[in-house]
Amino acid sequence: MIEVENLSKTYSGVHAVRNISFHVNKGEIVGFLGPNGAGKSTTMKVLAGYLPPTDGKIRIAGYDVITESLEVRKRIGYMPENVPLYTDMRVNEFLRFRAELKKVARRRIKDRVETVKELCHLKDVGSKIIGTLSKGYRQRVGLADAMVHDPDLLILDEPTIGLDPNQIRSVRDLIRDLGKHHTILLSTHILSEVELTCGRVLVIHRGRIEASDTPANLTRLVRGGGSILLEVKAPSADVVARIQPLPNIEDVEIVLPGTGDWTVAKIFAKPGVDVREDIFGVVRQNNWPLRELARVKATLEEAFVELTQD
Amino acid sequence: MAFWTLYKRELSSYFQSVVAYIVLFGSALAQGMVFITLTNFIAQQNYKDQSVFQIFFTCAIFWILLFVQVPLITMRVFSEEFKLGTIEMLLTAPVREWEIVLSKFFGALTFFLILWLPVVLDQVALQLFSNPPPPVSWGQYGTTALTIVLVGAFYVSLGVFTSVLTKNQIISAVLCFALIFATFFVALQKWQQHLDAFTLSWISYVSLLEHFGHAVQGLFDTRPIVYYVSMTAFVLLVTQRILLGRRLKG
Ligand SMILES: Nc1ncnc2c1ncn2[C@@H]1O[C@H](COP(=O)(O)OP(=O)(O)O)[C@@H](O)[C@H]1O
Ligand SMILES: [Mg+2]
Repeated sequence: MIEVENLSKTYSGVHAVRNISFHVNKGEIVGFLGPNGAGKSTTMKVLAGYLPPTDGKIRIAGYDVITESLEVRKRIGYMPENVPLYTDMRVNEFLRFRAELKKVARRRIKDRVETVKELCHLKDVGSKIIGTLSKGYRQRVGLADAMVHDPDLLILDEPTIGLDPNQIRSVRDLIRDLGKHHTILLSTHILSEVELTCGRVLVIHRGRIEASDTPANLTRLVRGGGSILLEVKAPSADVVARIQPLPNIEDVEIVLPGTGDWTVAKIFAKPGVDVREDIFGVVRQNNWPLRELARVKATLEEAFVELTQD
Repeated sequence: MAFWTLYKRELSSYFQSVVAYIVLFGSALAQGMVFITLTNFIAQQNYKDQSVFQIFFTCAIFWILLFVQVPLITMRVFSEEFKLGTIEMLLTAPVREWEIVLSKFFGALTFFLILWLPVVLDQVALQLFSNPPPPVSWGQYGTTALTIVLVGAFYVSLGVFTSVLTKNQIISAVLCFALIFATFFVALQKWQQHLDAFTLSWISYVSLLEHFGHAVQGLFDTRPIVYYVSMTAFVLLVTQRILLGRRLKG
């Protein structure tokens, strides 16, 4: 559905996106994940045909984004960052206007507007002026606009930013639902979001794609996918000195240098090796009183931090 | 057609805009005051061969009004969309640049013509209720109305053009005013001395002073029509290229 080859975008000297390539297949929900300023919005603006790329080739649904822009725009529902809307229009009026612009057949307009209002929980604000709506409602008007012509591809730039937790959950459910029939590319800097909605994550940092994988695989990638938490009554230095030399141990990190004499350590092992038995061996040998020995699964957050560290 | 959708939106947006209402009331007020003043003046002096109509469309206040109205109407058409970011929504919808430019142009031109409706009503009232009726023929009304539309179209196109250049409405309005004034300035050069016949003929070809001077007398001339239509088309084409250029050039 989306084919990006060697895309670069420079804003008068500032390299916002550097030579990135990726594909999104039909039916996928792909999350663009990266810290602020990573180049997510820039990439999406180029995909939506709003900004020209400085370099590179982009095809959407088989059409070139620059030379066949109109065909591309017919097939995309794009929700820009910060959702700029005509604040003087009423919600119903705005959605009808956008449906007409996007060439929804005249007899289907009413139906489509009602459908997207239903999906985005906008039923009760249809006759309100957009300028008087709260951020959360405006966000959903933007989302409704993106879907009103039932496009093959949805490009959503930070769709849940500015929403309260309940609204976030409902937008997430909506996106997952839409994902059954649409291809979706969404951007976010919130980790739990991609974990819950996306089949695949593209981690972007400083204009480069650092990783592209499922959320599960990405977390597995980080330091073997997890760590072991150990809490024993022993001096921190001893814990490091005794456990570090064990086979298959990559790193021992002191989390808490002990309350009383208690030390909390985080132990990272080589991928796929269970070292809990060896660690318990050390504990028994030294007669350290033991409070906790547990496996902790890596989070996507750790993967993210690892991938976007300088 | 996206043009009609955009045109309707464009026109209705004027009636949501404070600036537009101020321009509307300001114009009606100025037009009404000038009209009353001129009517009284003519009645007192007991002119037989002059009409309010003829004086009005060739007097300084008419020019000032015209030159101020247009920039205030057109300054927002693109600048505001750039400022609010709504241009991103507009340009990522499947619409062509010329549809956008034309809808903004015709929206502004329609509003401009609405601003001149009070004058039409004044004239109708004068024609119906004054005794004897003013010495003005339907031909004179027709040529003047046509000239207003043509000059208005050209100036509005200049305003749409300056609006596509900046997201700052003030800059857009000032640039537009400067361009409009330049056309007036050229017309004023007629009174310069030592001009050869060729230059003079060009000045009178583009002079809106002469165009209105002829129009109020009911003289129909195709040359101003060609001039204004082609200039308007050219300026709108440049505007469309600038808008399109944003999408094409990295
Ligand atoms: N219009 C612009 N002009 C100049 N620099 C810009 C512009 N838009 C974005 N940038 C820069 O490009 C980089 C990427 O920005 P952006 O794509 O908005 O990142 P993200 O959406 O991931 O937060 C940032 O360094 C930002 O400062
Ligand atoms: Mg962004």
